[in-house]
Parts: sequence; C-alpha cells; structure tokens
Amino acid sequence: MFDFSEVWMWFADSTNWDGRYGLWYLLVEHLALTFGAILLAAAVALPLGTFIGHTGKGEFAVIGLSSVSRAIPTMGLLFALVLVLGVEQRDLSLIVALASIAIPPLLAGTYSGITAIPWSIRDSATAQGMTGAQRIRHVELPLATPSIVGGFRIAFIHVVSTVVLAPLVGLGGLGFGIVQGLAVRNYAQVLASSLVIIVTTVIGDQILGWLQQHSTARLNAHDIMEKK
Amino acid sequence: MKFTRLTALAISAAAVLGITGCSPAAEPTAEPIVIGSQAYYSNEIIAEAYALVLEDAGFAVERQFSLGQRDVYVPALVEGEIDLFPEYSGNLLQFFVPTATETAADDVYQALASSLPEGLTALAMSPASDQDSYNVTQDFATANGVASIADLAALSGLTLGGAPELAERPYGPTGLLGTYGVTVEFEATGETTVDSLVAGIVDMANVYSADPRIQQLGLVTLADPLGLFLASNVVPIASDAVSAEARALIDAVSAAMSAEDLVALNVRSVDEKLSATVIARDWLVAEGLLE
Repeated sequence: MFDFSEVWMWFADSTNWDGRYGLWYLLVEHLALTFGAILLAAAVALPLGTFIGHTGKGEFAVIGLSSVSRAIPTMGLLFALVLVLGVEQRDLSLIVALASIAIPPLLAGTYSGITAIPWSIRDSATAQGMTGAQRIRHVELPLATPSIVGGFRIAFIHVVSTVVLAPLVGLGGLGFGIVQGLAVRNYAQVLASSLVIIVTTVIGDQILGWLQQHSTARLNAHDIMEKK
Repeated sequence: MKFTRLTALAISAAAVLGITGCSPAAEPTAEPIVIGSQAYYSNEIIAEAYALVLEDAGFAVERQFSLGQRDVYVPALVEGEIDLFPEYSGNLLQFFVPTATETAADDVYQALASSLPEGLTALAMSPASDQDSYNVTQDFATANGVASIADLAALSGLTLGGAPELAERPYGPTGLLGTYGVTVEFEATGETTVDSLVAGIVDMANVYSADPRIQQLGLVTLADPLGLFLASNVVPIASDAVSAEARALIDAVSAAMSAEDLVALNVRSVDEKLSATVIARDWLVAEGLLE
C-alpha cells in the first residue's frame, strides 16, 4: 500500500517548488501553454464558427472538423509537427497540436450558440435595418455568449489535461513531474504532480463555469433594461 | 464486429486450452524456456538471438517480448514466469541497489551477481555494452577542444540535454559537478534529445552508447576517465529453470557479441527496418553460431 504521507512530505519540501523544474515554474509554464493553445484555437474557431452560424454555409465543416480532430491522436500529431517544423519550433508544435483539440468545442460552441437563436429574433434585427455585421455584433454574439463560454470550458479541460505530453518533446509543464517520477520510481512526486493538475483543472473549470452563468445573467439584465 | 467475435473466440480457445493444459491427462512435455525482452528494439534483437540459438539446439522456447520497463518485468523474472532476459549490468544493479557506487564493468558485474534475488543468476557478461554517455557535436568538440568530460570544466554556460530523469540520476548534473567540477544547466529534452543537440539547443546530451545516431550524425562521445557512468554491459539473467546446456549456448552468444556488433545490429534495425529475427539470424550465421 502506498503511503500517502509521502505525498505531503513531497509538497512540504521547498526544493520541489523552486527552480527551473520546480512546481511554480512548471505550473506557470503549464498554464501558459494551455492559454497559448486556446488563444490560437479561438483565433481560428470564433470567426469561422460565427461565419458558419451567421450564414448557415459550411455546416458540414463543423461536423467534419470535430470528427477528424478526434480521429487524429494528439501525441502522433505532436511528434509529426516536431519532425516537420524542427526541434527549435517544439513549443509552436505543441501549441498547434493542442489547438487542434481545442478548435472543435470552440467551433461547435460558437456555431450552435448562434444557430440556436430563433429566426424570429434574427429576422427582427434585419427588419429594424441592421446590416449583417451589426446583427452579428449586437444580436448573435451576445446571445451566443453562454454557449461560446461553454466551448471555452470544454476546450480548457481538453487542453489542460493534454499539456502533460509536453515533457516528451523537451518542454516542461506539470507533466514533467509525472514523466520524471515514473522513470525514477518516485511515486510521491507522480501523485503530487497529478494532484496539482487535477486541482488546476477543477479550479479553471469552476471559473469558466461561473463565467458561463454570469454571462447569461448579465444578458438577461441587459435585455430587461432594453425593454424598459 | 468480426474482430470482436474473433477475439472472443481466441479468448475462449485460450481458456479451453488452458484448462486442458492443467488437466492431469496432459502429456509431460518439457516446459519451454520463456525468454523476455524490454520494449526496446535493441534488447529485442539480443533476446531473439538467444531464442534462435536455443531453438536450433532443440529447446522449446516461448517469446515474451516488448515487456516494457524493469518495474513491469523484474517481478515476473523473480516469480519465475520468465526464465531468460537480456539485461544491462549497470542499470539492473541500480534497480536492485539504488545506492551502488561501483562503476567499472567488472565491479558492476560482481556487485550485480551478489545482489540478484534468489533463483536468478547473471550469466557471463558480454563485451557489448549499451550505457549512458555524454555526447557533443563534432563542431562543438573542435571549437572547444574537448574530447573528455574533464575538458568541460574549463567551459561555462553549458547546457545538458537528456530525459527528465537525468536530473535525478547520480551521473546527472550533480555527478558532473562532484566528479569533474563541470557546471551545467539541465534541459529536459526528452525524446528530442539528439535533435536538440544537433540543433544547438543544448551543448551536450545523454545518449545511449549503442545508439546508431552517434555514428550517423558524427557525434563525439566524451571520454569518462573518472568513471562517472556506470558500465552497463549486456548480461543475460537466467532463472534456475535454464539448464547448464542452455546456459553454455547463451554464454557463447554473449562472448561473440562485441560492442561494435551491437551498434551494427541497431543500425540495421533503424536504417533497414528489418525484423529482430532477420537481424539476429544474420548475425548468428556470420558469427558461426547458427547454420
């Protein structure tokens, strides 16, 4: 039976927190890689999802993209990208590989958020003389916000738990403690690193969940004020 | 769904055969020698060479290859589920005795032989070795005039690349400073270690000495005059189930395998993408151990 007190002793040892491969540095690196990948994915998925939702053109692309990206193993894609782009670009390779799993939920969240708006609302916007761009800005995107934030929430969970692949290509992140710990049979370190990843994921998910609810509430208040 | 049905059939067939195998009516045939190997292509070639030689002499052999790392297969060896396994003296010694201080090949072998669990024997050690080594590019070696790890002490701002666990190993950054007075910054380059060395991301890298890329990329392996690295020669580990006759055959394979042979076998695997069987058979024939 594994002695769990070893895990607390690992956390209590300050040498495990400091330095290039200390917990603080790895945590910041883990989050930076996560946000980098999500930002890149958002730069692709938000305009594309808005366009598809707004025009109704290319809906097959949403389904196609999400099925294809699920069929590509992220680790294989990561190694292929490192081979193609070269080891100097390994951080870019990792971010692109991670973005590939963040795009589908963001795309689906944006697209479905817009298409879920009843046609009566969209038509009335047009009837009031709004141009397409105005309709996107003032009607569709605000109403789709909770769904888009939901997309970010799923993307975050996918990405934050996949960044653990980073040590395989010579980058850090919280997966480092797991990869190194397994190799040197330091299971306290493996468990401690896993715990930090779990806590990071849960906290991030809670924050995005709160944002999702909050964005809905604000929209409702906004609507009521508009009606007055 | 055909696959599922086939799998189910295979499982039930295996179950039925298993039951028959256990019944008292089963013929009293000789138990096959179970040969294991790590999930490492080079190790599998060596294991295959053992298997071919034993089969040629009329022994029944069962191959259990690609068994992952020591955590997985050492318990199976100790339990007697595997009878024969190609191992590496230094790394295996470190597994059983993490605090071992021996580094020279003979000392490591002696220490290993006396620290193996009951029922396991280290057969004769082969001259072939596959061990950790520090390597630099030819350009770096020429520019800085280094041929040995000791030469690095004069340099500053060095970065060392290797697997994440290197940071914790006795021959890692701590050992470099303690033994040679060399200060390095460690960069966990993982699977990209050799590429990172060539790309200049790190100045020196930990590469296994039998890695074909040392030759292919013209890397310079730094000499280790003070014995920082643990020698890791190929050493077959046998259980008591392996007969004296079989042991003699394996000893002949170990004696015939030189360090250069092992690198050449690895090169064939990486370059020509041949199967372990073909590579092992060709080598055994060339050495006159197989017809």
